[in-house]
Amino acid sequence: MEKASKTLRKIIHVDMDAFFASVEQNDNPELRGKPVAVGGSRERGVVAAASYEARKFGVRSAMPSALAYRKCPEIIFVKPRFERYKEVSMQIRSIFESYTDLIEPLSLDEAFLDVTHNKKAMASATLIAKAIKQEIKAKTGLTASAGISINKFIAKIASDYHKPDGLTLVGPEKVTLFLEQLPIEKFFGVGKVTAQKMKNLGIVDGKSLKAWSKEALMANFGKSGAFYYNIVRGNDERPVNPNRIRKSLGAENTFDHDLKEPTDLKMALDSIILTVYNRLKKADKWGKTLTLKVKFSDFRQITRSQTYEKPLATLEDIAQHTFSILDNIDPADFEIGVRLLGVTLSNFEGEQGELAKAGQQLTLNF
Amino acid sequence: MKFIVSSAELLKRLSNINGVITTNPVVPILENFLFEIKDGLLTITASDLQTSMITEIDVEAKEDGSIAVPARILMDTLKNLPEQPVTFSIDQETYSVEINSDNGRYKLAGENATDFPKVPEVTDAYSVDMSTDVLSSAINNTIFATSNDELRPAMTGVFVKLGDTNTTFVATDGHRLVRYRRVDVATDSGMSIIIPRKALNLLKSTLPSENVNVVLEYNASNAYFHFNNIRMICRLIDERFPDYENVIPTENPIEMTIERSELLGSLKRISIYANKTTHQIRLKITGSELTISAEDLDFSNEAKETLACEHEGEDIEIGFNAKFLVEMLGNLHSKSITLQMSAPNRAGLIIPTEKDDSEDILMLVMPVMLNNY
Repeated sequence: MEKASKTLRKIIHVDMDAFFASVEQNDNPELRGKPVAVGGSRERGVVAAASYEARKFGVRSAMPSALAYRKCPEIIFVKPRFERYKEVSMQIRSIFESYTDLIEPLSLDEAFLDVTHNKKAMASATLIAKAIKQEIKAKTGLTASAGISINKFIAKIASDYHKPDGLTLVGPEKVTLFLEQLPIEKFFGVGKVTAQKMKNLGIVDGKSLKAWSKEALMANFGKSGAFYYNIVRGNDERPVNPNRIRKSLGAENTFDHDLKEPTDLKMALDSIILTVYNRLKKADKWGKTLTLKVKFSDFRQITRSQTYEKPLATLEDIAQHTFSILDNIDPADFEIGVRLLGVTLSNFEGEQGELAKAGQQLTLNF
Repeated sequence: MKFIVSSAELLKRLSNINGVITTNPVVPILENFLFEIKDGLLTITASDLQTSMITEIDVEAKEDGSIAVPARILMDTLKNLPEQPVTFSIDQETYSVEINSDNGRYKLAGENATDFPKVPEVTDAYSVDMSTDVLSSAINNTIFATSNDELRPAMTGVFVKLGDTNTTFVATDGHRLVRYRRVDVATDSGMSIIIPRKALNLLKSTLPSENVNVVLEYNASNAYFHFNNIRMICRLIDERFPDYENVIPTENPIEMTIERSELLGSLKRISIYANKTTHQIRLKITGSELTISAEDLDFSNEAKETLACEHEGEDIEIGFNAKFLVEMLGNLHSKSITLQMSAPNRAGLIIPTEKDDSEDILMLVMPVMLNNY
């Protein structure tokens, strides 16, 4: 490794397997071994999580319930019980805490752990991961998958390698090969559109990405280019941050081709809103401020925010308000074409005021 | 068509309305003045489609007619001529315009007057009278707080609510808000209109210094101002204005009263040391003392001044954008002002302590969050 002088970190990413669905199956033995979807079963409902039995039929989270039903008529819909998931999540958290204080929860069902210096003075991160998995199984009856490596990015990809109940180690000596073989779309920050652009440039995996100079990547991908350059070389110094408080949560999408028609924009927003909603639900955070980001084909970007008295806590609420913000933008602006739309919720309940950063000019709440 | 007019008189009229003309208009003919002569009266129109200004001047003319004359060349010519009667001769076939002066002869290409866009008529209009003093003070007190954000069109103009007991002018850019109310202007129309900033800026520079009457006529789509021999018609902003009354806090237990010019002077000095992007300054009010400070960590600049003030309520430390405060205080005339507050993250209100009986001014400014370390 190039950075021999630095002590290598040991990062574990723990990801619960089909968390919501598994909790339901665990609490209700009748559901075990059956295709279960957590979410609304009504016409407009969405699957928040699907059990592995349901996944065999092609049912995925964020899929409309109606479609899930078509794919798997035997599917059992269960109403989500977020209080219960939170409770189980806290149980798991306390298991992590017996190993390290450097825990960065990403949502109710996944977290990063830095076990370089752990409370049990265990040298092997793999053994720690194994012990954590066993303890989770013993205390909650649920299975988790873990990825172990030298940074957050690789650990997270690794945890996804052998799901469910997986344990994947990407040791320091394997990092280079692992990253070189990694398909380009698996890289952090590479979405559908960037992946296509990379493929057009002949970048299909880590190896071909590595062949590019930093300057060339930056010329093609802007600031992100430098990030890709570093990450493919295993340089991801982002620390596991136990104090990370989510201030906002959102999703955005860059389109294959620029959108101009209001109906196309709304359709594109529909799926973004759904993603945001599922993320909010997973994080159990409900924001009062809704921000719509629009990037035009000339890369000009505008954001429009609106703050409401109560947190937006249903899919309908978020959708309705997002569309009304969209409607307030002059349609003439869209004529140039929209390349990206993003929806973000912030100003989470219970932390009002904390959101304003020092030096921030406050805005009237119209 | 031929007419004779004083070069200086004509220039004066043209200067009054020239501001409407934009450098790159949507329709090229709008780079022209429209000249129309009827019975020895020359009516001159300038327009950018949104706003049109019209003025009149008596000329010596034997016949009626009309022509569009390139504004820039005409203005420049008149500016550089010594005052004298000049003769305009227009060829109605080729639209060429010839100007004859004692100094010589100038020929420029005009355009067909019928191509000049029609100025809208204000039909079914309500009407209200006010003096130029009232109108210019309403404009001066509000226009600086309008927004530049073309994507929030409602806020790029001044909202005018014409009530039966008073008239309220409101401007806001989302960070600050001014509400200027006159009880000496009233009408029973009960209508609200949003007048674009450009029209108000034009009025501001055209309103005569002597106090004369201004007639404002308006309907849902246009407003029409008439004073002396100048008329202005502007298209109104057809948008919903934000609910401004709702954001003006009514419970403001902390009050500080201070001499306006002293505070303004201090703010101007301190702001030199503030961060150049946030213009953040810190007001610390303890007892009967106001400490104003600023620091720009990037350049290790800092400044602090202490002023005497009257203070009611709890001590407070609150941040503001100095530029906003300077602009607001600079537009007030009262000897002293009161700053009303409730918390470091809630709006502050600036209210002049003495004022004209017929006016009511309220200026609101949102704070900048302080980093308290």
